[in-house]
Amino acid sequence: MKHEVELRLQAWVDGQLPVHEADEVARLIETDAEARALLTELKHTRAALAGHEDSITLPESREFYWSKIARAIEREQPKAQAVETSWLQHFRRLFIPAGALAALLLIGMLAGRQTASSNVPYELSDLVADSDTFTFTDEANGTTLIWFSYPVENELAQPDDSDIL
Amino acid sequence: MADNPQSAATDEQLVQAAQKGDMVAFEELVARHRDKIYARAYSMMRNEEEALDLSQEAWVKAWQRLEQFQGDSSFPTWITRIVINLCLDQLRRQKRRRTESIDEMDEESGGVERQLPVVIVNPTEGLERAELRKRIDEALGKLSEAHRTVIVLCEFQNLEYKEIAKAMNCSIGTVMSRLFYARRRMASLLADLKKAE
Repeated sequence: MKHEVELRLQAWVDGQLPVHEADEVARLIETDAEARALLTELKHTRAALAGHEDSITLPESREFYWSKIARAIEREQPKAQAVETSWLQHFRRLFIPAGALAALLLIGMLAGRQTASSNVPYELSDLVADSDTFTFTDEANGTTLIWFSYPVENELAQPDDSDIL
Repeated sequence: MADNPQSAATDEQLVQAAQKGDMVAFEELVARHRDKIYARAYSMMRNEEEALDLSQEAWVKAWQRLEQFQGDSSFPTWITRIVINLCLDQLRRQKRRRTESIDEMDEESGGVERQLPVVIVNPTEGLERAELRKRIDEALGKLSEAHRTVIVLCEFQNLEYKEIAKAMNCSIGTVMSRLFYARRRMASLLADLKKAE
């Protein structure tokens, strides 16, 4: 018997043969003794294997088996939390200075608009009370300078340290 | 465990509770399905220690991915797929460490299996359950890994050929050939065991 026919016979036993091919195999089984013998063998093998795994049981008690799983879960959880924490820390490290910079730019732009609407050629003002940030706007030249001081977090920073935007 | 209120809950209820972090509910799921998961790992690995480790790893992975479980399939089907994937990964790692043998090349083309006479007599007829298990165990142990895997995925997991091909990363034709020769070899091994009585 050709291997291709053997495979079709097997697919028929497994119920995975397309309908149009199933009739052909059914006819073959009726007429070919070799095909019938192979079919019998395949069916016996399938029947022998059916339900085999049901007889396999865990060689450990419920408590012991679970204790190992529970320990592994506990071991993995702090790792996952640590990864999350370090990601958050990284995000904060980047986001906070970037956010502060964006806020200052926004304040600067708003202050620029306010002074542009008045007739005073230049203005020197505190932007936010007690913020150690003030601007100088020269309308004639169309420039706005903003001074702000870093918070005294860094001990090495000098009291008059400032940035100019 | 009659006093355990979890034991009356359905799998779905336990999964929902476990998804909210309830470890007691998850333990109940483990208790219900541990034999099946271990049996599947043992069928594929043929090694008690490896089967224990991989089945436990499957449960840990299930806990970590529990949020992804949407209930499209039953919980036992889902966790069984996890353990099968872990076993397949482990078998691939082991295979990479070995050199290809003549036996492995014959898995698809049929080596000795091509010459085997067809076994018409049922080799397991009239056997006690324990004896039947022992014989099938012995026969499964003598199959190559690829032949055993395809038998497990088809006969025990009831996967279609195309699903087996995807899991084993090969063509449907290869799956059909491997399965055919694996079954022929099983039939022959079971018949030999009967003769050896």
